[in-house]
Amino acid sequence: MIHDSLIRERLVTGDKTAADVTRDISRPILNQPSSAWKIGFTLSLIFLGIFGVSLFWTVWTGIGVWNINKSVMWGWDITNFVFWVGIGHAGTLISAVLLLFRQKWRMSINRSAEAMTIFAVVCAAMFPVFHMGRVWVGYWALPLPNAFGSLWVNFNSPLLWDVFAISTYFSVSLLFWYIGMIPDIATIRDKVKTKTAKFWYNFFSMGWTGSTRSWARYELVSLILAGISTPLVLSVHTIVSADFATSVIPGWHTTIFPPYFVAGAIFSGFGMVATLLVVARKVMNYENYITIGHLEAMTKIIMVTGTLVGIAYLTEFFIAWYSVVEYEQYAFINRATGPYWWAYWSMMSCNLIAPQVFWFKWARTTPWFIFIMSIVVNVGMWFERFVIIVTSLHRDYLPSSWVMYSGSLTEVGLFLGTFGIFFTCFFLFAKFLPVINMSEVKTILRNRE
Amino acid sequence: MGLVDKNLSLRNRNKMLIGVWEDEDALLSATQAVVDKGVHIHDVFTPYPVHGLDRIIGVKRSRLARIAFFCGLTGLSLMFTMIWYMYVKDWPVNVGNKPVRFSPSWIPVMFEGTILCTAFGMGIFFFLRNRMLHGIKNDLLDERQTDDRMIMTIETCEGMDEKGLIDLMKEKGAVETREFHQGVQTVI
Repeated sequence: MIHDSLIRERLVTGDKTAADVTRDISRPILNQPSSAWKIGFTLSLIFLGIFGVSLFWTVWTGIGVWNINKSVMWGWDITNFVFWVGIGHAGTLISAVLLLFRQKWRMSINRSAEAMTIFAVVCAAMFPVFHMGRVWVGYWALPLPNAFGSLWVNFNSPLLWDVFAISTYFSVSLLFWYIGMIPDIATIRDKVKTKTAKFWYNFFSMGWTGSTRSWARYELVSLILAGISTPLVLSVHTIVSADFATSVIPGWHTTIFPPYFVAGAIFSGFGMVATLLVVARKVMNYENYITIGHLEAMTKIIMVTGTLVGIAYLTEFFIAWYSVVEYEQYAFINRATGPYWWAYWSMMSCNLIAPQVFWFKWARTTPWFIFIMSIVVNVGMWFERFVIIVTSLHRDYLPSSWVMYSGSLTEVGLFLGTFGIFFTCFFLFAKFLPVINMSEVKTILRNRE
Repeated sequence: MGLVDKNLSLRNRNKMLIGVWEDEDALLSATQAVVDKGVHIHDVFTPYPVHGLDRIIGVKRSRLARIAFFCGLTGLSLMFTMIWYMYVKDWPVNVGNKPVRFSPSWIPVMFEGTILCTAFGMGIFFFLRNRMLHGIKNDLLDERQTDDRMIMTIETCEGMDEKGLIDLMKEKGAVETREFHQGVQTVI
């Protein structure tokens, strides 16, 4: 039975009507860009330029311009790859997993989180692709017959699984995002005035009219896409973790990696969602749609997943001791007390200790504080990947192969540059597409159960 | 039955009666009242999914779930065949003298292929069935039907009590009633 909820807090405040929702959400699209948007977009373009220069230098000279070497053969590049893939996962979690669990608070944030997924996966894909060195033969990673015979790709390698996983994840996320957006594109189509805008929104709305028949199929397709995206998102980060876990390198060769990586991905993804939305709700005046209640729910997830990864860090240590394998034990003691101790303790304090502050309601409901904490989470999760990769590699079995590693200027430029890609895409998205799912939000205006 | 749902096109139809609502509850009770009178409602256009409406107007349960399942099976078989051909048939690679046959390391690629085919296969059928194509001309009855208005359409036939239906719509909270014939709408 459907009735008005007496106890649940409203998900959308300000007594909004369906027409208000359309007006509020389509305002940035129908009006000229604000000065905040212009400043943000210009900054993003500058970072995009840094990416372009760093990438050009990498391809022109070769990946020797990176500081990776024969011991630390993965450095900032794969750190950044895992960092960005992880960020992407919150989008799918919000749109798919929370849809399956019928969590209605996801409706105000799923669109931007899904957009974040797609842009983050694009950023992530840059690193392994350009790490190949000769990027122009990158298509060799696909299952095509070799030019010199019929030698095929190696299906036993997790690196190949990654090719399939990341490309599937990107395509399915894009489809999910697009299908979810069609009704809203149709709404914008019926609001815009200029001929060009009308043409493009009409083109992408695919003739949507809001027929009950279409809605019935749309809801079924959304549910099935959510159902298949959930194991997909788990498989993707499991496979990313298998890149490490299937090797025989102390510090990588652990069975805890898949769940630990998935929890870390959700943690970092929610960190980035919080970073984006705390700013967006203020700048775009969406405080009635992305309420303190939404922020609070996100911080709770951040706290739980942060604690989960924290437990994983401690379990790794315990298992290294329990295994009685001296190389494993050394790898972990070296992480915490070796030359990269600062990275390890940055990770521990940002990911395990800092999120515990969300036990306090004040911390969960104060936007500026959540913003700072979301940055802390992002920094911590970058360090987690750096710790896993660099501390495990820099002291090989042979002491003659022991090296220190720090990113070169080009590597730093590439990493900062991916923020350029990410935010350029995000600003364009915020200008041309509805940041909040209008058709779904309209269903929760009455706070029904 | 064809692949494309012909009901979604409003062209070449008899005269249609149109009722416009701005409230979801009023619309639901109106559709129920119209259906109770034994009248077939052609379609209802809403800016957001109104739950229960499809059952009232007699929309059949979609078979897209079954299609998705078969697309998934196709993806699984395709990926299995692909790996088997490349890994076993065409160029068997001797890795530590292990037997060249199915192994768990095939599963991730097979799984991803299954998901990809399920999503895109179902997506394509969804677009086809829903008469959705890039740039297709839409049969919009009201500019606000994607904003805040809900439109009920009834295709008239001989012997239908049109006036009675219009009155019923008004009584059940329709803010506007119209006639739609050969692309022209008239407020009544």
